[in-house]
Amino acid sequence: MQIEALSRYGVVRDALAMDAIDGVRPRAIIEPESAEALAELLALCSRERMSIVLRGSGTKLGWGRRPAAIDLVVSTRRLNHVLAHAHDDLTATVEAGATVGDLNRVLAEHHQWLPLDTAFEAATVGGTIATNESGPLRHRHGTPRDLLIGIRFATADGLLVKAGGNVVKNVAGYDLGKLMSGSFGSLAAIVSATFKLTPLPSASTTLVGAFGNSQAIAQAVSAISASQLEPAAFDVGAHVSVASDPGASVVTGLSRTEYQLLIQFATTAAAVDAQIAETRRLLPADHVDVLRGVAETDAWRDHARRLWTAPGAVVKVSWLPAALEAVLALVERIRGDKGTSIELVGRAGVGAGLIRIEGDTATQVKAIEDLRAKPDVIGHVVVLRADRGVKEKADVWGPAGDTAALLCGVKAALDPAGILNAARGPV
Amino acid sequence: MNERLLSEFVGICGAEGVLHEPLELLTYECDGLPHLRTAPALVVLPSSASQVQAVVRLCNRAGMPFVARGHGTGLSGGALPVAGGVVIALSRLNRVLDVDIPNRRVTVEPGVTNLEITRRVAPYGYYYAPDPSSQQVCSIGGNVAENSGGAHCLKYGFTVHHVLALDTVLPDGELVHLGSPMVDAPGPDLVALLVGSEGTLGIATKIVVRIVRKPESVQTLLAAFDSIDAAGAAVSAIIAEGIIPAAVEMMDALAIKAAEAAVHPGFPAVEAILIVELDGPAAEVRALFQVAEETCRRHGASGIEIAADDEQRARIWKGRKAAFAAMGRVSPNYYVQDGVVPRTRLPEVLGRIRQLEARSGLRIGNVFHAGDGNLHPLICYDESIPGQADRAAEVAAEILSYCVEAGGSITGEHGVGADKAESMSKMFTPEDLDVMQRVRAAFDPRKLCNPGKIFPTPRLCGEVPGPYRQHPVEQQGLAERF
Repeated sequence: MQIEALSRYGVVRDALAMDAIDGVRPRAIIEPESAEALAELLALCSRERMSIVLRGSGTKLGWGRRPAAIDLVVSTRRLNHVLAHAHDDLTATVEAGATVGDLNRVLAEHHQWLPLDTAFEAATVGGTIATNESGPLRHRHGTPRDLLIGIRFATADGLLVKAGGNVVKNVAGYDLGKLMSGSFGSLAAIVSATFKLTPLPSASTTLVGAFGNSQAIAQAVSAISASQLEPAAFDVGAHVSVASDPGASVVTGLSRTEYQLLIQFATTAAAVDAQIAETRRLLPADHVDVLRGVAETDAWRDHARRLWTAPGAVVKVSWLPAALEAVLALVERIRGDKGTSIELVGRAGVGAGLIRIEGDTATQVKAIEDLRAKPDVIGHVVVLRADRGVKEKADVWGPAGDTAALLCGVKAALDPAGILNAARGPV
Repeated sequence: MNERLLSEFVGICGAEGVLHEPLELLTYECDGLPHLRTAPALVVLPSSASQVQAVVRLCNRAGMPFVARGHGTGLSGGALPVAGGVVIALSRLNRVLDVDIPNRRVTVEPGVTNLEITRRVAPYGYYYAPDPSSQQVCSIGGNVAENSGGAHCLKYGFTVHHVLALDTVLPDGELVHLGSPMVDAPGPDLVALLVGSEGTLGIATKIVVRIVRKPESVQTLLAAFDSIDAAGAAVSAIIAEGIIPAAVEMMDALAIKAAEAAVHPGFPAVEAILIVELDGPAAEVRALFQVAEETCRRHGASGIEIAADDEQRARIWKGRKAAFAAMGRVSPNYYVQDGVVPRTRLPEVLGRIRQLEARSGLRIGNVFHAGDGNLHPLICYDESIPGQADRAAEVAAEILSYCVEAGGSITGEHGVGADKAESMSKMFTPEDLDVMQRVRAAFDPRKLCNPGKIFPTPRLCGEVPGPYRQHPVEQQGLAERF
């Protein structure tokens, strides 16, 4: 089919080299200007058996398996309006192509926000739901699926439908928004979403503690978890640094691991202060910083982005919260075995995080295999960012489990012609 | 039912695990919505996941529809049997399998009651957050099916926010593991799809839930208002102050009067009361509670009582939780509705309900979770007066239309079940419902798993929801409606 013929469904252009996904260049990019046009386009693509990849801002487009051939990238870039902010009801409806940042700038006018601190500034609402991506605020506010109360999407055969609604409490019908969460655009195209919102906190303070070994930080995490403190964010980091005082920490060659605990309280000023004081009492850290204002914002931004701005593969992992020490020990062992440069950033209370692995392809693949070799310590190892060589050798999604057949059935229900996501997974 | 098939069910569950005498089946004819009744062909009481699997496989072979049932407290007929079908009662799958305090997880079988989880973890300073008012008797499997909430879901969310993993017997008898005790199982969130699917996609046989640390401080106030509108304005103003209370409940004059007559909580005889509860770190609660109190006064609260201790707090909640059952003190019969409106539309919708009350000649009490706009109008009638029961049902249905017109929902927590299947088309287009049905068919192509629920069917066309009757567990004082 001629690409020009698609212009009635949106703004079309030929794909450029920069549009390639893992080296696979689509034939064209199309940007529908309405949800209806997007649905009609998908119906046509289903009839024509055209392979589609959905794209928001493209910040996480490289996640997933290397794609099979792609005919068309369908971008939600022009579906970028905040449709409603019912501030007295603490809800907002937004089109899929709006960025979380843009949405939050609108919501801030009424001192509210969607508390999703994705690491990617340009991330769209649709992409954030599709990947169910969240940041340190997950500790209090959960992931996108926890905040989503309604969704509108187009099935691959062109039905424009909704599930959920505009109210925070609602159990009518299947909650298909949850099914879209983590679907990576393989089931349907999200066109808009309704979220429950949160008031912006009146004050916040972050405490950063540095620890010389995994046992000490694990004990601190355990003490805070067992307390009645209610942090907004509660993160750990295990970072490689050049040793200035090798004797004081775990030594591996010339580098050492520095363990960091970041804990944020965001509520009334008095409650923030009281909880910071209590946290200090519980934390026998080697070094403690208390951050407010710009320094606090910067610290969290750096923390969220540091894995993404450094080279290497980034994998997503999870663990049982009380197993943190074993998780850190495993990471340290993988590093020690081969001198692999490896670091972890994660949610201490939730038991979820990211691991960055440097080194050549074989080293990265081996490290991923080693992480998967201890499923009782670390589970759900999913390769997010990796170069082509790593993706060819390491299984991106990991073992399918016993739901593979069921998920195939669900995909066939929403994408009967199988046109979505070019076999990138997870479905 | 033929003897050979019966003996196969007996072969799976044992003679004591199969009920088929009409008298034995009576208990299972309905759930907490007693006006909808159907006798099943038989009831099985499996005592293991593998027995559930075997029963479901046998149902498939025989082409018999089956309905999973927890403890039968549901209020929308979600566990209503299918004529000629099998009820799979999960009451024998009632073991707490694991209590893991360091990881804040509890693993249970579906027949464990909601409150049992909290009982098991309370000594360690934890609780299970979703608190439907039937929590003493309702099963966690039923909570999963209905995505149950409770008074505190405004802050803490629903069942879906607290379930991590489900071992599920699919409609074809396959056992699958959805989610896991570790978060972030890759792929679409099937756990969250199953939660709230009202038993139409499978039967959970093992459930891993998250437990929550008890907050450092809890404060509760009871504020009296001269009008529902003033109380409603106070709720909006509290939220506008940036406060997310643990609970905000409202009752109107009729509901207050009924609660007073039943359990004497010492509520003032006013047009409306608000119960506002805040919890969290002590310093936070102290500061915000003061704001909440001042906000109530600014919006015309004529009196405010602050619970000085747990005992006083329990008394206030007792009055609130007794409100439904207490309607029996002021009316021979009543009908409980469950609808949701955006909170800001509460005054308008309540205004319409008042007009409807005047027009219909039936008194309507109002009890609701004001924080999240979840209304529970209580429509009073006398079934001994011809036509009143039908009139009450019509009034209840009309209130749902008001909710949908205001941008709300036909159910906030009781579920669609068999009761409101017809009302689904008020909220959803045929295409919306078609896509949900496609998902259902991916799980249950043979339409054997709890058929006739959620989705409008020709069989139910023209049926109107019937009047409320007290459930046996309510009669015994074991549960109240909320």
